[in-house]
Amino acid sequence: MTAISHHISDETLQDYAAGTLNHELEVVIACHLTLCPACRSRSAMAEAFGGAELSGCTPSPTTTSAADLLNRLDDAADSYSTEPPESTKPVVSGDGINQVPMPLQRLLPTTLDKLEWKRLAPGIKQHNLSDRHRKEGAFKLLNLSPGVVLSKHTHHDRELTLVLQGSYQDEIGRFKAGDIADFGDDVMHQPVVDTDKPCIALIATMSPVRYSGMFGRIIQPFVGI
Amino acid sequence: MLNVKSPKTKQSADEKTDREHKLHLGRQLVAVGLHRDRQAFTEVYDYYAGRVKSFLLGKGMNEDTAEELMQEIMLIVWRRAESYDPSKAAASTWIFTIARNRRIDYLRGNSRIEVELDDELLESETPERDQAQLVLDAQNAKRLEQAIEALPIEQRQVLHLSYFRGKSHGAIAAWLDLPVGTVKSRIRLATQSVRAQLIDTDRDDIL
Repeated sequence: MTAISHHISDETLQDYAAGTLNHELEVVIACHLTLCPACRSRSAMAEAFGGAELSGCTPSPTTTSAADLLNRLDDAADSYSTEPPESTKPVVSGDGINQVPMPLQRLLPTTLDKLEWKRLAPGIKQHNLSDRHRKEGAFKLLNLSPGVVLSKHTHHDRELTLVLQGSYQDEIGRFKAGDIADFGDDVMHQPVVDTDKPCIALIATMSPVRYSGMFGRIIQPFVGI
Repeated sequence: MLNVKSPKTKQSADEKTDREHKLHLGRQLVAVGLHRDRQAFTEVYDYYAGRVKSFLLGKGMNEDTAEELMQEIMLIVWRRAESYDPSKAAASTWIFTIARNRRIDYLRGNSRIEVELDDELLESETPERDQAQLVLDAQNAKRLEQAIEALPIEQRQVLHLSYFRGKSHGAIAAWLDLPVGTVKSRIRLATQSVRAQLIDTDRDDIL
């Protein structure tokens, strides 16, 4: 893996540490954190903020004491097994560039190279990861052919895009495998696939994207990023 | 309704005792993991149970549910204490993450997604250490708390709303009637100044 040049923002790491994001955004963040030790270290600091808030707060009165809790544990000891059974669902894993971080692989029926894609427009294919209605936001893999130019667009609230294979370029810079694009509604961008290999990216949003321009308005219902 | 302490100018004897007590609790948590030490657990419980309950009540959970979840969380602390590593995190941080994850399970019905430490793709630390690698162990936790206490009140408020009220930065902006950009910059300033202070303290220790 080459060095990562696009990271998660402080405010997104804080939201993740505080536990205020949805499941889909958590998957994208956990995948980036797997690949990026720098963001893992920043994420540990965001969690330490939570620890400091916890120890600095005023305690509420509780009705149970430690002794009550431990006694109850003794009573239940016979019927209690120490750990809940782990889910044993087997997870397939790809090789080389088709290997993806586990938080994503767990959601895929097969390896990245054998995935079924749905064609949306010339050079644009997707694999939907969610059965949510579009209004609730997108969660999908996008497979863009070399040379594809997406419509210029912005986002309502929040979108995370993690590049898994290939690369693209937009007004912000060049995004390669492992790079994450973390933008709010203040960024208008137009991604272009800039090598002769397809670009596969994982995308999650909190809410739908606004496209500008005629083609964008036509394909938006299908692409959804 | 905000529980934000005013910045401290000098360290009182009480605070010093409080910090030593928290370090002591970290050692007690290790003792729970090693020996199933009930007395040690009782000390950890007496300090954190009420705080965990405050954390749960902060998101608007009712009293009974908060009491019940608090007990579950403290039981997880008891059972998993052997996985607590004081060289990686303060006890307060470790307990915070357990409480946060259990709250997410309860509210959302599915588990929080995290890095899997046995993932073959897990990239290890960068050898050149280009980013300052902060050690957020139990010793450093007290410096972190001091650094947070010294933050301007508007930055502390954003941290409190985020970690305790469970609001995303967008929701905080709406709640405080501020532009999202202002909330983002407060988060960034708070993060940067705490990080800078911890790095400075590290350097002082070496010299």
